[in-house]
Amino acid sequence: MSLLTSAVVLGLIEAAPLILAAMGFTLIFYLSGFMNIAFAENITIGAFCAVLLTSALGLNFYMSIIPASLVSGVVSVLTYLLIFRPAERRGIGPAEMIILSVGVSFVMRYGLRLIVGPELYFFDNVAPDYYRFMGMGVTSFQVTAMALVVVLAAALYLFMFRTRLGEMMRGLADNRDLALVSGVDPTRISALIWFIAGVAGGLAGVFFGVFSFVNTLVGWNLILIIIMISIIGGVGNIRGAILASIAVGVTTSFIALVSTPLYGEILLLIFFIAFLKVTNRAT
Amino acid sequence: MGDTIEVNGLRKSYGGRVVNEIPRLTLSEHRIEGLIGPNGAGKTTLMSLITGRIRPDTGSVRLLRDGAAIEITGMSLNRVARLGVVRTNQKIQDFESLTIEDSMLLSLATDRDEGPGRLFGERDFRERCDPIIADYVAAMKFADRSAHALSAGEKKLLDIVRCLLLEPKILLMDEPTVGLPTEQTDEVMALVSRVAERQDMKVVIIEHDLDLIWKVCEHVHFMADGQILLHGTPEEVRTNRLVRDKYMGESHA
Amino acid sequence: MFDLLTSYTLFSLSTVMGFVALATLLHLQFGLAGIVNFGVVGFWGLGMYAFGVLLIQFEVPYPLAMLLAVAIVAAVSLLIGWVIVDLNDQAVLVATLAFGTIVTSLVTTEKWLTEGVVGLGSVPYPVETGDGALWQFVVLTAVTAAIVIYAARIAKTPYGRLLAAKRDNEPLARGLGKNTSRHKLTIFVITCALMGFVGTLSAPVHRFLTPDLIGPGVTFSAWIALIVGGKRHPLGGVLGVALTIFVFDFVIETYVPVPSEHAATVTVIKTIVYGVTLIVALMFRPLGLLGPGRKRGSR
Repeated sequence: MSLLTSAVVLGLIEAAPLILAAMGFTLIFYLSGFMNIAFAENITIGAFCAVLLTSALGLNFYMSIIPASLVSGVVSVLTYLLIFRPAERRGIGPAEMIILSVGVSFVMRYGLRLIVGPELYFFDNVAPDYYRFMGMGVTSFQVTAMALVVVLAAALYLFMFRTRLGEMMRGLADNRDLALVSGVDPTRISALIWFIAGVAGGLAGVFFGVFSFVNTLVGWNLILIIIMISIIGGVGNIRGAILASIAVGVTTSFIALVSTPLYGEILLLIFFIAFLKVTNRAT
Repeated sequence: MGDTIEVNGLRKSYGGRVVNEIPRLTLSEHRIEGLIGPNGAGKTTLMSLITGRIRPDTGSVRLLRDGAAIEITGMSLNRVARLGVVRTNQKIQDFESLTIEDSMLLSLATDRDEGPGRLFGERDFRERCDPIIADYVAAMKFADRSAHALSAGEKKLLDIVRCLLLEPKILLMDEPTVGLPTEQTDEVMALVSRVAERQDMKVVIIEHDLDLIWKVCEHVHFMADGQILLHGTPEEVRTNRLVRDKYMGESHA
Repeated sequence: MFDLLTSYTLFSLSTVMGFVALATLLHLQFGLAGIVNFGVVGFWGLGMYAFGVLLIQFEVPYPLAMLLAVAIVAAVSLLIGWVIVDLNDQAVLVATLAFGTIVTSLVTTEKWLTEGVVGLGSVPYPVETGDGALWQFVVLTAVTAAIVIYAARIAKTPYGRLLAAKRDNEPLARGLGKNTSRHKLTIFVITCALMGFVGTLSAPVHRFLTPDLIGPGVTFSAWIALIVGGKRHPLGGVLGVALTIFVFDFVIETYVPVPSEHAATVTVIKTIVYGVTLIVALMFRPLGLLGPGRKRGSR
């Protein structure tokens, strides 16, 4: 088995939760026009819900996925309705919105920290089934994550391009004033999008958690990579987000195989800064 | 004689639509010239191409000064402005946090005044600038120079003043009358004419207010569909059939 | 007087003073020039570590090590400045955030230079006479005061107006012949180099340099202080730090007896309070306590 194929397989596996997270992040970025750093906490909350449901209540892992993602979705809507929508109405610019979302992120993360403490949590009473795939061991959780990516990406695509609500949403993102004139209720649609994004973030958190461990920093440690992916993929571009996630997953796995994971991250960030300079992109 | 602008083979398109196609044009051979034409004719784009705000697909813009030609195609906005080609804005533009006086001081400051190490000398600088600012405050009837420009009219006037303070050689004015009451328009144009005489400045005006064009311009260019179709004295242009068909019919209906 | 200044008090006060300097430099970058620098810790941490590494690993003489460290930060900020000079605000924000993260990561990975998480030590005071900590605090205070005075003065000069004009409406400023890109780069490099300089002064205060000193928390603390105090006011950083970092890291830590088992909880609560303060400030007083009240439609 060559280094390259292992990197690709490992990278794809690693990419699955990244894709989920990047889709959620980029949806909000697209709709509301700013980077919501507090999205990190949706990931963390999803992970914690699942880990607590399985260890404390003894719930089956697969059964924990649904409530975990729903809780994350609801939290996402609440942050929108309580903080970001009022802020939008006050005419706060995109740079300040990001700083605001950093504040929201801090409050949520350390609020959670007060409850759960700094410890690492593991999904210790759930055991996945193992399969062989291209000479590599693959767990049923990883397969589930990939399947969910496919389902969610397809559903999102159909929603955005095949339904009236999706059309309204795109209208709202492209031209807010025009959309308002044509009778779109921005709050309802935005709330829906923030919910979908939160669900995607929560799902991502569940899988990030089950692949390694859960603590209050799970989402925070990933957010920069997620921002990067959504910018490289093109804001609001779901297909771009998926491709960029895969590219990032494969690249980091490859570097992690030949060197240390941290170098992978450093190289990615350097590449990202160069990318920003060359394409002059963001927003 | 003063400076003139020479445009050669200029072409600019957006998404396949040609918005400017000008094989040859000499601007500001006369003291005050007008550039007229229907909406979407490409007048504002032409000014943006000249001042370096946008770049042409092909072609060149040259500034003819004292018999020498300075290539300004692709030069940055600020360098073109420093060469003395300055434009007033069609849309209302202002510096939100600067007062009227600050705005004028900004225009009056040269590269030598501006530097991270220039902590002192503000008082001398203000003393130097004060009479000039006082003149313009009086001419434009600004109520309080230490306040911000509040009304659309004040902002428009301030925009023009900022440009005049740069002592440009060629002033491009993009719809100066929009947002101004008629009597103020006359005063502004009178002031601009005076400055033009005094400082050897050329003026090119884009306007839909044709009475103003006929009144103040010595020479008029007519533009439609991205092309310059006609030049001449105001009288010639006004009575031209093409202009009547393509433009005046629509705006004076 | 000197009896009151225990070494721990001096340590806390020096840390607070370092933040005043960083927040005021951030005021120059963001409040005055509109550069959204989310990599404050990168420049400060690079200065601190470059100095520590030169001094300890390469045994470069003290003043020369400081000078070289600042030169390194200046060179790096020139590169970063070149990258961000024509980017929009969101791109500047993520690019600088990425830079800060790179610095933190490199400090962790390059153990041969920095000793990684073990810690690089110990960085001595320039004068090891026993009063070193006091003198360091005095120097830090003097440097910080100089930065604050500079910030207050520069706003009322042609250069200050130019930067404000650039921040408000860059194309308009360029139309008036202002080379905004060059000025943006200049002020960015100067302020980043000064952040690095503050880093070299902070190094002996911490004595042992570890990667957790240069986490993103440094950047966010400086930002929160500046936003709360008032981003447009030269004293915004001073007031903001006094109300946030000074209250928690000095007043509460020094005068409120917290049982050691709850020390971690205090840190958590501190962060929550910072976050709430930031949210409230941005929502209700976007220009901070020293700014004028909320202006309709202001950015």
